[in-house]
Amino acid sequence: MPNLKDIKRRIHSVESTMQITKAMELVASSKFRHAKDRAETAEPFYRSIYQLMAEIASEDPYFNSQYVHKQTADGAVLLIVIAGDRGLAGGFNSAILRMAQARIDEVRAQGGNPIVMPIGQKAVDYFVRRGEKLLKTYDHVAEHASIYLAMDMAELVLQTYKRHESLCSVELIFTNYVSPIKQLPEHMQVIPLSELPELDQKKSAVEYEPSPEVLFDKLVPQYLAGLIYGAIAESFASEQAARRTAMENATDNATEMIDNLSLQYNRARQSAITQEITEIVGGANAQQ
Amino acid sequence: MRLFKFTIVTPHRTLFDGEIQEVIARTTEGDVGILAGHARYAAILKTGVMTVKMENGSIRKAAVAGGVIKVSDDKTTVLSTAAEWAEEIDPDWAERSRQDALAKIEQAKNEPDRLERANLKLQRALNRLSVSGHGTGTIQAPKKK
Repeated sequence: MPNLKDIKRRIHSVESTMQITKAMELVASSKFRHAKDRAETAEPFYRSIYQLMAEIASEDPYFNSQYVHKQTADGAVLLIVIAGDRGLAGGFNSAILRMAQARIDEVRAQGGNPIVMPIGQKAVDYFVRRGEKLLKTYDHVAEHASIYLAMDMAELVLQTYKRHESLCSVELIFTNYVSPIKQLPEHMQVIPLSELPELDQKKSAVEYEPSPEVLFDKLVPQYLAGLIYGAIAESFASEQAARRTAMENATDNATEMIDNLSLQYNRARQSAITQEITEIVGGANAQQ
Repeated sequence: MRLFKFTIVTPHRTLFDGEIQEVIARTTEGDVGILAGHARYAAILKTGVMTVKMENGSIRKAAVAGGVIKVSDDKTTVLSTAAEWAEEIDPDWAERSRQDALAKIEQAKNEPDRLERANLKLQRALNRLSVSGHGTGTIQAPKKK
């Protein structure tokens, strides 16, 4: 039979852990609400730009932009990986990093050269530790990310893409927020925009000013910035949702543990009392 | 007057979504006015003012920080990284960001990339000031390096 004092101590320890998980759950759910709104408002922007780019590209059969086709390429791949700044969010960080690592291994296996641009402390730590080649790192930006930061990132990526002949594609790895209990790591090809959907064109042509190519190339940085901003917002919402779920589970587990320990404690207390009474009664009987 | 569907979309919010009579936008090629039934059209927007004639005939002005305008058969869309209505702009805030931009331009004299960005920031601030009725009325052209 465990000692009463030991059980009491364990109950206290679980209780204080529960306080922490409970507090984290509340913080995560308040951040989550805000983050979800932000992710939802960011979406129409890049969707509309993408739609417009697809229209421009399918309008003209001879359409040729450097962002759609690139001739010379020997297989360097830039991966933009978005993870969280903190842990204790269930499988959120490990899922996204596992996906990024799988892609890196795949690029290597095909003789390519992976370069990473990690966003989020956890991603930065991971890739620095693995000794991967990094373009630039960003940490603690997700919570207060602005479109201007995303524009800087997009500018850097596009400059790198244009300057380095060997860079053949830019890919984005982030967590897509599906529902409060479901977040999916996602991998998407960003540049070149090889898979623009072919749209049915109506007979009347669109008038583009100054020209379709100029307009298209001008749209790419905005599209990329919108996409990165959206992906950061989605990932941040996912992180908060994942953390809230993880902390909710931890709080539930702690409650269950406290219940079990209290039961054990009461049993032990009862048996101690019973024993004491038996001893007193035994002692009294012996004196008669 | 015939109405048409119009939306202004930014990454932070949808500024407007509804029916209007007319919109006048500042493109890189000059100002264009769009009425209902306009041919399909797309153009790059400069940082500047956009004038919207609402459903009830009232005029609203918005500060738009560049972007693109697209007219399709059923609706007209403006996509911009930032846009706000004239009456929403806080002139003090715009003035502070103008000064901030000037300081950045000073700092970034020898770095073309940063200078370019600081110039854009200055343009946005001047545009907000002028649209909100607190500026000089004209937007300075960015200095070429």
